[in-house]
Amino acid sequence: MAEPTQPLPSIEEHRRAYEDGTRLRGFRSACGFVTATWGLACPRCGRRDVEEVDLDPRGTIVAFSVQHVPSDEFLNDAPYAYVVVDLEGGGRVSGWIDGVGSDEEVAVGDAVVWTPTYKPGVHFRPAGAGASEAASATGGG
Amino acid sequence: MRETWVVGAASNRFGRMPESGREAAARVALEALDVAGLDPKEIGYTFVSNCFGIAERQAHLGPLINTALGIPDVPSCSIESACSSSSAGLHEAFVHVAGGFEDAALVVGVEKLSHLDTLNATSYFAMGADYAFETRNGATFPGLYATLAHAHRQKFGTREEELGAVAVKNHANAALNPHAHFQKPITLETYLRSPVIASPLRLYDCCPFSDGAAAVVVGAREKHPRPSAEPLVIRASARSGSIADMHDRTTLTGLPATRTAADKAFRQAGLERGQVDFAEVHDCFTIAELMALEDLGFYPAGGAGRATTEGETERDGRLPVNPSGGLKAKGHPVSATGASQVAEIFEQFNGRAAGRQVPKAEIALAHNVGATGGSCSVHIFGRR
Repeated sequence: MAEPTQPLPSIEEHRRAYEDGTRLRGFRSACGFVTATWGLACPRCGRRDVEEVDLDPRGTIVAFSVQHVPSDEFLNDAPYAYVVVDLEGGGRVSGWIDGVGSDEEVAVGDAVVWTPTYKPGVHFRPAGAGASEAASATGGG
Repeated sequence: MRETWVVGAASNRFGRMPESGREAAARVALEALDVAGLDPKEIGYTFVSNCFGIAERQAHLGPLINTALGIPDVPSCSIESACSSSSAGLHEAFVHVAGGFEDAALVVGVEKLSHLDTLNATSYFAMGADYAFETRNGATFPGLYATLAHAHRQKFGTREEELGAVAVKNHANAALNPHAHFQKPITLETYLRSPVIASPLRLYDCCPFSDGAAAVVVGAREKHPRPSAEPLVIRASARSGSIADMHDRTTLTGLPATRTAADKAFRQAGLERGQVDFAEVHDCFTIAELMALEDLGFYPAGGAGRATTEGETERDGRLPVNPSGGLKAKGHPVSATGASQVAEIFEQFNGRAAGRQVPKAEIALAHNVGATGGSCSVHIFGRR
């Protein structure tokens, strides 16, 4: 099997990049599958020739749930929406949107943009809600 | 491979245990051995599951249990597979006994979390998911299953009343189970009035944080031909896995690991879905029971909700599901759950399930999921 085309970042480097707002890193397999999740081989095809890519910060919500009982790291943020987002250009990630209190405030198909904050995790905002800086800062894919 | 039986099983009352996990595990193990009519010295290996033992400042529980049982020289190891830990332990015991390495093995699962508050318990449960890529992005355990529920509703039009019917049925069953955490039936109105935890899941969609312990004794038929109770013949012991992160899978309306484990199990057993008389399935949330029934192949995708509202999965229905009350109402002491499903099937096969006895107990299935399906066990049991 082919070796990785370049050294892959550690999980910590990956996390620090998206929490600092510098990069939303991902990995593309030779089979075309793109994921943000760290690994040494593609979880779909098993091939090891995985390359690092910058993921597009823009995407669409494919599934969500509004959280009313958080874990400790989100203690002061509930309610908020946990979202699964299909990114433009490929890749699907878990993330969250703050300030969402009910199912009526978010919908499958809504456009969102990765918008780093000082809080943990991959944070999104609805597209067009003053969150386009990250998209332009990272090239927007 | 030798024919292998479950020769004894036991569970304590789920809920809030006054004693430590270590004490509860040893007691329930001894009870299961007594049911089997085996002396502890006949055990060749002990498999212990206790995912969150660190919450009691204790790891390496196996030697403590074996010492308490008077068999300190018997080997032990800890088996961790999140909520499917003790069914994974059962699989290991099966492999050891069926493969001829041991003539009998003990499986023990125990959890004690009731001394933690909801915030800490929620945080512990979330550790079963991917911390770096799910939990740190806002996922909680109810949140992940709620996201599956949303996707299921989006695709199949799953109604709140269908989720509620699972809760009402399982609470009714638990009310007849002296080992269950919840002992009272609920109405659909009570369900619909309960607060939202993670939309669309309400409080009564969620299993409780329970303490509890359960144990299973596995033995080779040729070495234990005359057990004290009616044994369960292990017709299939199958495990499977899938991509750990839910968002990276090809589906958000089911658990791929359940499908592959079920296919493997039915092939091993040489049985068809229609031959199963009743099932204990992994209903950590109501949506999980519906997805399980679909992924196991008992109903087509999107079909389990209607079957549930029409009573097909009640104790006297076409396919009784979770006569114990399930994780939802019997309770879910994470590492004890898989073994407790087997303890329920053992009771049913021995005609000791009293008011919750199912009409026919010849072939039964136990389905136990780790986290959101990164791991999964399916066992099928028959009579000798």
